Amino acid sequence: MSGQVSSGVHPSTNQQQAGHAAASGAHVDRQVRYTPYAIPFYRHRSRRENMEGNKKPQEQGMEGNGQDKPSRSWFKISIPFGIKYDEKWLLSVIQKQCNAPFTPVEFHYEKMEAQFFVEGASVAFELKNISGRLLDEDNEKISILVSASEIPHSVQRQPQSEMVEMTKPNTDKICDISQLSLDIQRLCFDPGMDSGSGPKADWTTDNTAIAPEPRDYKAASLQNHEASMMKLLPSKLSNTIQNVSITENLDVSKYKMKPAVELGREKGQGSEEMCTEKASLSTTFPDKCSGISSSVLEMFPKLLCLGGQYSLSASNFCTEVYKTLPTCKGGFLGTDALKDLVLQFLQQYYSIYDYGDRQGLLAAYHEKACFSLSIPFNPKDPTLSCLYELYKDSRNMKKLTDPYLRVQLLKYTKHDIVRSLCMLPKTQHDLSSFVVDMWVQTETMFCFSVYGIFKEVEGEYQGSVRAFTRTFVTTPESHTSLCIMNDELSVRVATPSEIQRTFSMLMPTPTLILSQEQQKMVQAFSIQSGMNLQWSHKYLHDSDWDYNRAIQALSLPKQGKVKDFRRGPHTD
Amino acid sequence: MEGTGSYHRDWSEENRGRQYQQHDQHRQPEGSGSHYYGPQGDHSRQGNRIPEEVVTPPLAASASSGSLMAAAVDFKTHVDQACRAAEEFVNIYYETMDKRRQALTRLYLDKATLIWNGNVVTGLDALANFFDMLPSSEFQVNMLDCQPVHEQATQAQTTILVVTSGTVKFDGNKQHYFNQNFLLTAQCTPSNTVWKIASDCFRFQDWASSN
Repeated sequence: MSGQVSSGVHPSTNQQQAGHAAASGAHVDRQVRYTPYAIPFYRHRSRRENMEGNKKPQEQGMEGNGQDKPSRSWFKISIPFGIKYDEKWLLSVIQKQCNAPFTPVEFHYEKMEAQFFVEGASVAFELKNISGRLLDEDNEKISILVSASEIPHSVQRQPQSEMVEMTKPNTDKICDISQLSLDIQRLCFDPGMDSGSGPKADWTTDNTAIAPEPRDYKAASLQNHEASMMKLLPSKLSNTIQNVSITENLDVSKYKMKPAVELGREKGQGSEEMCTEKASLSTTFPDKCSGISSSVLEMFPKLLCLGGQYSLSASNFCTEVYKTLPTCKGGFLGTDALKDLVLQFLQQYYSIYDYGDRQGLLAAYHEKACFSLSIPFNPKDPTLSCLYELYKDSRNMKKLTDPYLRVQLLKYTKHDIVRSLCMLPKTQHDLSSFVVDMWVQTETMFCFSVYGIFKEVEGEYQGSVRAFTRTFVTTPESHTSLCIMNDELSVRVATPSEIQRTFSMLMPTPTLILSQEQQKMVQAFSIQSGMNLQWSHKYLHDSDWDYNRAIQALSLPKQGKVKDFRRGPHTD
Repeated sequence: MEGTGSYHRDWSEENRGRQYQQHDQHRQPEGSGSHYYGPQGDHSRQGNRIPEEVVTPPLAASASSGSLMAAAVDFKTHVDQACRAAEEFVNIYYETMDKRRQALTRLYLDKATLIWNGNVVTGLDALANFFDMLPSSEFQVNMLDCQPVHEQATQAQTTILVVTSGTVKFDGNKQHYFNQNFLLTAQCTPSNTVWKIASDCFRFQDWASSN
């Protein structure tokens, strides 16, 4: 496949790539040829032109600058571990999934990757889209990485005998929705909807106290992103980038789109389908076209960045290669006052829940509160079966489809709730393990989620450690107390590292010196029980150094059920 | 047919002297069972179907006051509506997240807030940027629960609490178990109800060891 392009093709040199795809005669997609996104592409070689006059995006955009003819953009497609795959097989698998036909150029293997080039932003975009959706014959995912590229050498070397004129992109073409390979319909709202038009006293608009200025997060992370990408780009590209003021480009306020409400007024575009919600571009391109196209542009700013902002185009595609997740942080609790309020609430709640009569929780709930409980559903995980036994009222809707039962298993009114809480196993929660996110904070509602671990302290599974997430929707009753409106508990099996962490909290303080005899007991106990010395010590300590009692305390759960923490960490 | 009148769930049954029906405890549905599911009938969408919208039939207005049975229907109806909306929502949300990421912000209110592993993201601009920066994803949900949120907390804005968990694989990263909670609010018209996320809280179960 890769050979086809180079034969019989007379592409223009340098910037002019117009029509080369058409001339090749094979696998040419009209769509690709006439892509509305073919904006003049300024290769780094013409950097001087870029720098001169420092063209604003608007000028570069659709019209091209005065001198250069409209040209195409090239992209390198990399398949990590593609070396495993036969070229024909790989390309056909990709083509099957890909919405746009593509013509791979210079297919080759480099180290562990398979690589080839394609021309045209829309094609590259389609390929990027299907990354991770392909499976090889071992059912493993095939990733597709896309980065902007110079014109492949084989294509560059072609003598140019004629310049094939590319249809000059104009605003009409761009606004012609039928040419887009994207389903615009999917991007639109019900036109009658105006988001945020609920009742005036809307808690959702009230919930602003919770967050710091969003720019802080955005600015910092984007800057870091840009900085790290600069290091990773090939030096040629990064030279270009340095000539462009990146932080300026990332200033959102400069590039706000026209409110999409205006779109509805354009004629002949099926415009009633277009959007009502305004959304600002988060990166770069201000709207070059008027009217309809701006909603398209706003959805796909990356494509339009190519010609005008070479640096950003490279960086936008490179982000796919180098994308990392934001750093995970601890619980978000807002102000100190809120933190105190919530932690105090949790302390009170769990001291009753764990050590008192749970009837005492009646005071914590609203008259018409709701409570439900849920266990994850995973048929492949045998450790969950004990949870199903213990928590029979699990209302996991992934497993429970009966609408009647779904209603029934939601506990309603505080009496009903407390009655069911009393029926749940007795527990000991490790408050030091708690992580709390406060995710709604208004005058009338504090909503927060608690993640943590607890131990079952009686019954068949005594000693088993569980992890839980509990979400409380509460109403402040006074400065110091919260009233629970909704309470949702989900319980799962704890991971070994979570178990370890709990135990480190519950371990006895490091030893007083053991007598000889005690040391011998610990050793013997360790051998007999199969536990390590630390745990053997604990058992004996808890049994007042009565060896037999300690042994009895080891009463084992039924075979084949939950991993019991008392088996202990055998290996240290 | 409900559709006119108030769209607020009416939780204030105190005035009606409602008592919780004990006979509901046994699991045999009475009669045809239809009155447990509310009168809205077939769950069909009206108008153009837009995948990124979560649309349900209009919320049933409160039944007329008086009968205890009517009050019981009320609550069950609300719960049932919540369940349908939640199920629909979760399907659309994760499919959009995985396959049409650029459209995900359509499911959020303008001033929605997301807390993602302790990082706070507020407003559509920031959300769009955030979702754009996240690598492509593949979600698998294995737990879903939901409750209608009490009116007193939400200042009469119809709201559902949705809780999910499962696994997620972000491109270039290892698989994580996650928990996610949403508050969805309803925007009601005579013909349907559109649900959007007002607030969103997401966390890896192993967040502490994932940096």
